[in-house]
Amino acid sequence: MTKKIQLFITCLIDTLYPQVGIDVVEVLQRAGVEVACPAGQTCCGQPAFNAGLRQEAKTIAQHTIAVFEKTEGDVVIPSGSCCAMIRNHYGELFEDDPAWKARAENFAQRCYEFSEYLVDILNITELESSYSGKITYHPSCHLLRELGVNKQPLKLLEMVKGAELVPLPNAEECCGFGGVFSVEHPQLSNAFLERKLANIEASGADIVVACDAGCITNINGGFSHRLQPTKAVHLAQILNQHNPPSE
Amino acid sequence: MPTPFYQKIDQALSDSNLQAALDANAERRINARVTAFTSLTEDLSILRQRAHNVRLNTIEHLDYYLATFRKKALENGFIIHHATNGDEAIRIILEIARENQAQLIAKSKSMVSEEIELNKALENAGIKVVETDLGEYIVQIRGEAPAHIITPAVHLRRADVAKTFHELLGIPYTEDVADLTKAARQVLRQVFLDADIGISGVNFGVAESGLICVLTNEGNGRMVTTLPKVHIALMGIERLVPTMEDLSLMLSLLPRSATGQKITVYTSLIRAPRQSTEIDGSLERHIILIDNGRSAMRQSPLSEALLCIRCGACLNACPVFREIGGHAYVSRNGVHTPYPGPIGSVVSTPLFGYHEFGHLARASSLCGACREACPVDINLPDLLLRIRAGKVSNEKAEKPNPPEILKWGLKGFAFVASHAHLFNLAQKGMRLLTSMISPNSQWLRIPAWTGWGYGKDFPRPATQTFQDIWKKQSPQINHTASINPTTKTISHLDDPSEKLDNKNAHPTPPADLIHQFSRELTALGGVVHICQPEALASEIESYLDPELNILYLSQQAHQELRSLLGEVWLEKHARQYTKINPDLPSIMTTAVAACAETGSLLICSHPESPLTASLLPATHFVILHQDQIVPTLSDLLHHPRIQEASSSVLISGPSRTADIEMTLTIGVHGPAQLVVFLLVNNQ
Repeated sequence: MTKKIQLFITCLIDTLYPQVGIDVVEVLQRAGVEVACPAGQTCCGQPAFNAGLRQEAKTIAQHTIAVFEKTEGDVVIPSGSCCAMIRNHYGELFEDDPAWKARAENFAQRCYEFSEYLVDILNITELESSYSGKITYHPSCHLLRELGVNKQPLKLLEMVKGAELVPLPNAEECCGFGGVFSVEHPQLSNAFLERKLANIEASGADIVVACDAGCITNINGGFSHRLQPTKAVHLAQILNQHNPPSE
Repeated sequence: MPTPFYQKIDQALSDSNLQAALDANAERRINARVTAFTSLTEDLSILRQRAHNVRLNTIEHLDYYLATFRKKALENGFIIHHATNGDEAIRIILEIARENQAQLIAKSKSMVSEEIELNKALENAGIKVVETDLGEYIVQIRGEAPAHIITPAVHLRRADVAKTFHELLGIPYTEDVADLTKAARQVLRQVFLDADIGISGVNFGVAESGLICVLTNEGNGRMVTTLPKVHIALMGIERLVPTMEDLSLMLSLLPRSATGQKITVYTSLIRAPRQSTEIDGSLERHIILIDNGRSAMRQSPLSEALLCIRCGACLNACPVFREIGGHAYVSRNGVHTPYPGPIGSVVSTPLFGYHEFGHLARASSLCGACREACPVDINLPDLLLRIRAGKVSNEKAEKPNPPEILKWGLKGFAFVASHAHLFNLAQKGMRLLTSMISPNSQWLRIPAWTGWGYGKDFPRPATQTFQDIWKKQSPQINHTASINPTTKTISHLDDPSEKLDNKNAHPTPPADLIHQFSRELTALGGVVHICQPEALASEIESYLDPELNILYLSQQAHQELRSLLGEVWLEKHARQYTKINPDLPSIMTTAVAACAETGSLLICSHPESPLTASLLPATHFVILHQDQIVPTLSDLLHHPRIQEASSSVLISGPSRTADIEMTLTIGVHGPAQLVVFLLVNNQ
């Protein structure tokens, strides 16, 4: 029986990078799962939560929980920080509301980050993906430290034929996004970003892969601001580089 | 008008000297920490979890452990005081100073003393107080506050220190770190000898034993707790561990996390005042247990911050601290907190007020590097988030503290994001707006005041959202070329992190203890001569000044050499060390035991083995037998003599500092040379 998953596309990919969404869907389909994308989904509530506005975060979280409660099966999220928000913080968000807490935890148990799902749940060991060039990988903070997803994206990138994976110096340093942090503390955010951009340059890679649209927007926004070509792409974009089978 | 905090951030970012100093700190400390943990024989994640549990249990049952500690410490002869706040602590200290007609106080590092602003109070009372940690001394004479909880002069480079010493100490200008250190040593040596009172902090109090543990590399901690006749130990009430075994666990984590050392050079274990038969050690020992908001913090959503063992690893790991340094962490009114970095951004709120310091918690990207570095696994990002949400007290909820414009923006966003059709409309509106502003480019240049536009462009929303595309064309996205997912479990090939795990070495067999001890102590800068009894005389003589040809010995070492080398040799070469003498170039002592794991010697005070013998000379000789070596630090800490002696110390190498530009300098206040004659049995 084909496995069916529910895609939580996240607000940033939905609004800014629909093509990444398509790549995510296609990679999942090539991995043999059926993809559904429940209508009415918006945001996980992380911006409000990180700003300290828990009441507002709750309102958004309740909406998201309600949307996905109508569905069944695993929920796949192509963003480490959104997945971490749901899995690690929804419980605390509803700590004073047992009924919603139970619903939130129920939902959280269904959620997986994209690369985690491919490697740990679908046990993908090969992909018909190919890319010629040097790739480096930026481990997004929440994916790495809140979800502990450290090897899965690299495993997937190693399956990409023709790609040369090169190390990113000081890879585990934050790129400076941090959601509301990037607008509340632009000077600090920019200082982190400067270091990240320099390290990407130093890696010699043509592109830098990440699993979080926040980091991608931050890094590419930085390149663009400095009138340099953007280099950050989502993991799904690389995994979906392949030659379609001939008819 | 930007707030003082934002002003400090801007100043720090544009200060190239500071940036260079902070970069050097971050790089060296992070690497040193990672390297230091590779020498652990147990899995770090397990040790960390154990340490977390020990600290959590201590804080949860703090009343019990405090009562136990008090009782034991009283029995041991300490005078115990309790101060509910800083003013009370200061009153107690001034009272002790008055009783002793104190004019000069020598102080070793104590963060709680910074917290209660003790130096200012002492100076106002006409008492001179001198900081004796090198970094702390540098900032004190510069009229600054420490910029880091472990490395007070982290913000300075060697040229800054050179200038300060040239101007204030009157020494010729030099950037030679060893010379600068020597200059401070000379000034401070006299302070130790003249001081009426020594004030120290406390790294850990051990509840079951009623003893306190003070760690210093330079030896100043030993000086201020040994030479002045009165010793006052300032201790936050949370600074406890239940047992010696727990202390051993903490000592395996704290120095590694703080400075990347396996063990601090001097681990002082102070149990009692000087006994009547002893010639040194403070005669009167006070412990001031300081609450100052900790009991309230314990009952708050921020109680986990009390687990902190003040290692400073989160400061070194934090990308924000790396950009701005410790002096930038200021209140709404520009008053700086003694506790910077991630842990400081948390504890400054419960200690000094949410309205004053709550904004510090917002200056974090929540990257989690702090939690990862924390040896007791404090969930610092969660605590920062609680402060942002105003969850700082169980009694009274505060308002969340985002800037007004962000607050209203996010309130609007929350409304929109909880109504799907509005969300879709907003996406369309945003697309329309941005395509009008930037019709030609995918990336928008937006004004700096938006925050984002300060250093980044913003991507124009796509013409269709993913959900729009999905609604219209989801069948077309469906792909036929599916690859078969394999069902077999993944093999862990080429996993670099697993290779790293292999460095978990096996425990050394007992026969190798001698060599392990020797290797470890040598790595710390000590000298070990492994010799058979027949060779001892010539080994020792090779160190003696050819003209004087004599050696000072503690009485115990004297007895030891009598049996080894005989009365004739002693009469020719030996003098006994029987009263405090700071001018002797070298002294030989015995050791109670030693451990192979860290290359440490255990020395316990005794009427015939005074503590100053291993502290004051430039060279400290030790006579040690192979059967005195135990395998682990834990074994050493469980030595029964620690529970009998008034003071003990684990010595792990010659005294050292890295307080000036992280440059390692050997020989600060304690001996610059440590030479062990390790006697092995005749085969």
